[in-house]
Amino acid sequence: MEEPLKDHHCPVLDQVMISPGYYLLSLTAPQIARAAVPGQFVLIRCGTRYDPFLRRPLSIHQVKRERGEISLLYQARGTGTRWLAGRGKGDLVSLLGPLGRGFTYSGREKRGLLVGAGVGVAPLLFLAGELAALEWKLVILIGARTKAGILRVESFQRYGFVKTITGDGSTERQGTILSLLEEETKETDWEGIYACGPRAVLKGVQKISRETGVPAQISLEERMACGVGACLGCVCEGTAGEVLRYLRVCREGPVFDAGEVILHD
Amino acid sequence: MIDLSVEIAGIKLKNPVMVASGTFGFGKEYASLFNLSKLGALVTKGLTLHPRPGNPPPRIWETPAGLLNAVGLQNPGVDFFLSEILPAMKSFEVPIIANIAGFTIEEYTQLASRLTVPGITGLEVNISCPNVKAGGMALGAVPELAAEVVEAVVKATSLPVIVKLTPNVTDIVALATAVTQAGAHSLSLINTLLGMAVDVNSRRPALGNITGGLSGPAVRPVAVRAVWQVSQAVDVPIIGMGGICTSNDALEFILAGASAVAVGSAHFRDPLAAVKIIEELEQYCIENGIRDWKQIIGAAWKGQN
Ligand SMILES: Cc1cc2nc3c(=O)[nH]c(=O)nc-3n(C[C@H](O)[C@H](O)[C@H](O)COP(=O)(O)OP(=O)(O)OC[C@H]3O[C@@H](n4cnc5c(N)ncnc54)[C@H](O)[C@@H]3O)c2cc1C
Ligand SMILES: Cc1cc2nc3c(=O)[nH]c(=O)nc-3n(C[C@H](O)[C@H](O)[C@H](O)COP(=O)(O)O)c2cc1C
Ligand code: FES
Repeated sequence: MEEPLKDHHCPVLDQVMISPGYYLLSLTAPQIARAAVPGQFVLIRCGTRYDPFLRRPLSIHQVKRERGEISLLYQARGTGTRWLAGRGKGDLVSLLGPLGRGFTYSGREKRGLLVGAGVGVAPLLFLAGELAALEWKLVILIGARTKAGILRVESFQRYGFVKTITGDGSTERQGTILSLLEEETKETDWEGIYACGPRAVLKGVQKISRETGVPAQISLEERMACGVGACLGCVCEGTAGEVLRYLRVCREGPVFDAGEVILHD
Repeated sequence: MIDLSVEIAGIKLKNPVMVASGTFGFGKEYASLFNLSKLGALVTKGLTLHPRPGNPPPRIWETPAGLLNAVGLQNPGVDFFLSEILPAMKSFEVPIIANIAGFTIEEYTQLASRLTVPGITGLEVNISCPNVKAGGMALGAVPELAAEVVEAVVKATSLPVIVKLTPNVTDIVALATAVTQAGAHSLSLINTLLGMAVDVNSRRPALGNITGGLSGPAVRPVAVRAVWQVSQAVDVPIIGMGGICTSNDALEFILAGASAVAVGSAHFRDPLAAVKIIEELEQYCIENGIRDWKQIIGAAWKGQN
């Protein structure tokens, strides 16, 4: 059964800048906390008048069901996220959700590889927590250009073995997250790869998944308007069937099987 | 309770607030959010004779107080709509207006006759889509061609025919007059304004289709002007739309001459926008002692004379 759609007005519990430009925002949102699955997102109304006009999609980063809380992890990039960064304790924020189709997992061996590039780790912490509770063994790869973009390592360490890599070598290894992923998939048989990050990384994940035969799920981003499947604004190209078919990232996604979609540059 | 009912081209609406085509899908996605029977009417996503995949992404680009869209009439086609979608929509208990888009006059008439079935309350003829190459705006911007389409559609159906016009013309009154003389029972004003944006990061056009249609509060003055001009020139009722987000916005259209309004892009910001506007209009009538709200239709120009 699908959760009824609802616009929740949620009080901010706490907001901290965890690294320059990156924010961790906790909200009281009992219904979202109860209903959400990892990989789902919320649409947040930002700004008071019409600036910006559209809501902003953010992944659900963590849920605390017993306490009725959720948290979001985001990078302040433009008008919307900068407005959000200005909210403080007690402010009400309007959240539509939980929305979209999240990650699926039903492994027998319970061995999973999580791949988070930059703020792409956002949906993966929720996932890691759920998988760990199901006694999955996890290796979590976190990559970014610089150390400032390597987020939430200690939190992930509660759920699995974390390896980090940066473009400038300011953490343990220098290189790209795809090179780490290639190594990992050579050494071990994984049951599933779960990835979120920029399109170029997800394209690399698709390729590695194809070559190694390890099924991957990727979380996509696209510009959104309605966020619920009504406006057909957020599509990506699907692979199924003979005729061209577009899939709604907000409805059929944001999490897709790697083979389900074609990623253009 | 205040009576907000109104009749548009023989269609009885319990209130003058509809949802605009393409912004509300076929209603399904919002049915768990609120009781759709509260709406005056639900206008469907544009339907074409054959299924259409739509335009390549990106299809949405935000602009100041609005957005550009270039969906390109993605829809499952009229047959699928009739067999798989319409039956479920009946449970919404709201008048359903089917928005139709053809690429030739023949396609418009086929759509009109196939959709003349129980469960459909009226047709909105979209001769104003800026996001497809043939048909759409190409037909709808030339008064003679637009009139031909409308005449053929009116012959092909027994349903009320609402014609949706494009603002992308020099003289919208000439267009409105032509389609009204051709038999249109009502007019919808306006569809989106043709626009474009360039992504300065990629240095490429922001939309997959390059150009798109502008909607949202940014276009409201253009829409109000169109309603003001057209309502004084034709005798058929007008459905006003373009950037309506609040009851004051809706009132602006009604005072300018619209008999009903449609709420579109506002849903993206507040999916309850249409319901809130209905409640606020009731409140407005109570507070201002308006017993028959229809007396304020066009009051902005009627009061002038
Ligand atoms: C399903 C989904 C989940 C997401 N989850 C997260 C998350 O957990 N944390 C996080 O930091 N970001 C997330 N994003 C991206 C986030 O939505 C954008 O960064 C945000 O909308 C930017 O808004 P803004 O007003 O601050 O920036 P704008 O001024 O609108 O733009 C600033 C930059 O952000 C990019 N951008 C704008 N909108 C989007 C979008 N919808 N998707 C991707 N990039 C965009 C623009 O290209 C531009 O470079 C998610 C996106 C989607 C679709
Ligand atoms: C994403 C989107 C899709 C649309 N699709 C259609 C359509 O299929 N047919 C149509 O006649 N108008 C379509 N429109 C136009 C709207 O119905 C409306 O005329 C226009 O957006 C102005 O109203 P607004 O500013 O309230 O959105 C679409 C608009 C948007 C934003
Ligand atoms: S954002 Fe409207 S369909 Fe996805």
